[in-house]
Amino acid sequence: MGFSAIYAVSSTDIVYETFDGDAVVLDLASGRYFGFSDSGSCVWEALIAQVPPASLVGRACGGGELSADDLDAFVARLTEFGLLSLAPEAAASALSPDLAGRLATAREALRIDMHDELADLVMVDPIHDVDEPAGWPVVKQ
Amino acid sequence: MRRVTLDGLADYARGLLAACDANAAAFPVLSRVDLPGLGIDVFSDHGELATALAHGMATASLAEQGQRVRIFLAHPGIGSIPRPALWGEALFNPHMFAERLEAHGLRGNYFHDLHYWQFYDVERRLGVQLMLSADGCPPWEFGAPLRCFLHWEYAARGMRLTHAGTLGVGGRGVLLAGAGGAGKSGTVVSGLLAGLDSVGDDYVLMKLDGDRSMARPLFTTLKQDPAGFDRLGLARWLPDPGPLNWQGKHQFRVRDVCSRGLADELDIVALLVPRISGAERSAITPVARKEALMALAPSGIAQTPGERESGFRFFGELTRRLPCYDLALGTRGDEIAETIAAFLDRGIP
Repeated sequence: MGFSAIYAVSSTDIVYETFDGDAVVLDLASGRYFGFSDSGSCVWEALIAQVPPASLVGRACGGGELSADDLDAFVARLTEFGLLSLAPEAAASALSPDLAGRLATAREALRIDMHDELADLVMVDPIHDVDEPAGWPVVKQ
Repeated sequence: MRRVTLDGLADYARGLLAACDANAAAFPVLSRVDLPGLGIDVFSDHGELATALAHGMATASLAEQGQRVRIFLAHPGIGSIPRPALWGEALFNPHMFAERLEAHGLRGNYFHDLHYWQFYDVERRLGVQLMLSADGCPPWEFGAPLRCFLHWEYAARGMRLTHAGTLGVGGRGVLLAGAGGAGKSGTVVSGLLAGLDSVGDDYVLMKLDGDRSMARPLFTTLKQDPAGFDRLGLARWLPDPGPLNWQGKHQFRVRDVCSRGLADELDIVALLVPRISGAERSAITPVARKEALMALAPSGIAQTPGERESGFRFFGELTRRLPCYDLALGTRGDEIAETIAAFLDRGIP
């Protein structure tokens, strides 16, 4: 992973909304939803604003500091889930004072939660992936 | 047997729509459905689906000039309507299916088990549901006929078919959102029995009108599993409720248990996320908007094909403008209804 590189939302299939500092992301292509801890929401917002992860290392976060290892693991999860990808042409942005303030007052560790309970209904091929005797929406195991 | 691929999908859809148009006079039944802002001429055959259409749809009583839509519920026994094609050998990807149609101004849905196709031309307001026989649709269609067409037409106008229940008092109401089994339907029935208003359970139409979030009725159907049916004492109104539906639930209509029927509309003032708590008394406490969105959006988006991004945006906006609460359901229906009525009466929010 290019830790000092810049990232961007990986495709137009990734859509997101933020409520009171909590981000919720939907992958339209997979039907999976993602939620974050409060610090995770801040870092997600920073990364999609093209703030390089490296510039977040050492930032105040919930009474401590963001470590390189934690950020590295978090960015790896985001790319593994297909939410972020490298944006080599993008220009780096600075962390906004608002996000820096929210990050400093965050109370939870960096975390992303995936919800795929309904992904089958959205994305399973209802012809080839369906249990033959039972039919849709029972998925072939 | 014709096989359809992504590349031929739009042509197949347009061909079916043209075939229905050309055979309009051959359809045995022409029904008119009046919904909020929408008058639908439905061309169909006789059968259970036509009956569901006649009795399962809400009727808009507010005088309004609606857009005219034509929907054909077609099968090969009518005129020269062709037999349904099958999907080709390629993997069927619902997202790509929807994207390909949207690129041609169309919406669509395919249910392989029954060779069942639905297509809708948004600009012409013309739809076709092609089945093998008059009632050859998936079993859930009988509880919410035309659901996909309503979803596509209303979405094109910035409104939204919303998977939620509703209860209200004096024109103000709450939206009840949550996954199956969360207690939405039992709460709606309890409220109706206790004199509260509703514009529907399961699916309602949401419109964001300035600062207001308005809910209006589309379907008159209610459902309860046998345990809920017994717990709510519904045998008093429905001594012979008939066979269970495809989900193993009793299916009935609002007027079967509530003579005043559905309200015309509710001004939604809060989003409640019900859950069965096991506690004796119900409790309403604030919940994070993120949690409320996760209760509201996923099932609605998963159960209605296409328009997924606009749905996510709409539900995001709705969640953002409404105060959101956790509703821990007590064990008695009348107590739950009292709790919601008191919540609305106190002027919260």
